[in-house]
Amino acid sequence: MKMVSIASGTDLTALYRKLVGNYPKFFKMDTLSKLGFLLAEMLVADDSDRFTEREDRAVLIFSRRGCLANDLNYAKSMEDFPSPSLFVYTLPNTVAGEIAIRNKYQGETGAFLLEGYDRPQIDEIVHQVFQDRITRDAIVAWIDCPSETEWTAQAWIVSK
Amino acid sequence: MDSKQIIMEQLITEVKLKLIEALNLDGMMPEDIDNNAPLFGDDGLGLDSIDVLELIVLLEKNYGIRIDNPAKGRQVFQSVAVMADYIANNRTK
Repeated sequence: MKMVSIASGTDLTALYRKLVGNYPKFFKMDTLSKLGFLLAEMLVADDSDRFTEREDRAVLIFSRRGCLANDLNYAKSMEDFPSPSLFVYTLPNTVAGEIAIRNKYQGETGAFLLEGYDRPQIDEIVHQVFQDRITRDAIVAWIDCPSETEWTAQAWIVSK
Repeated sequence: MDSKQIIMEQLITEVKLKLIEALNLDGMMPEDIDNNAPLFGDDGLGLDSIDVLELIVLLEKNYGIRIDNPAKGRQVFQSVAVMADYIANNRTK
């Protein structure tokens, strides 16, 4: 099972430039979305059938706080004059959608908020997703951002 | 490259810098934006309808151009190159 992670405090823009560099939507994403996007890039960059439409891969995002860090930043901005542009690509389910759009995955996507990192619970949910007749593997990510500069972010691909 | 092209290239870079600032695209550099890439949708910069408000303010504040018609906005905001061309031909300041 392939597993990747991004250490807390990593310069995500520098990592994007190193790994991708040609996907400017990255700059519209909040930290949660950037982490999910980059984790997926690290996982599937070497796939031989990259960017080929497929329905058999699910994308499942797990988190505790979701996009709370970004929401708090936006709330703080309202103390002054809020800018509409501070609305960015956020929400855990948007992260899953972004990964699916980028890679042309048309299978299941899902986002789940747990009380904390709980691998048996995550495995059980993945197992449930595998009960359909289509899904053969899944990108699974645990991404939790207490703030925009600290996080835990890891992802793996699990097969049926 | 003649002087007209040089001026247009400078304007395109200026528009990119203002766009990055107005849209809070933290960490983005002008060279990250393709001159002809669509500003909206999944294939380009990924801007959305909310961002249009910022672009309208950007044009009025910096170049004295008012966009009152949504259809005109869709036309002007196709790409950075189209924006720059529109600015060059319609700016009042």
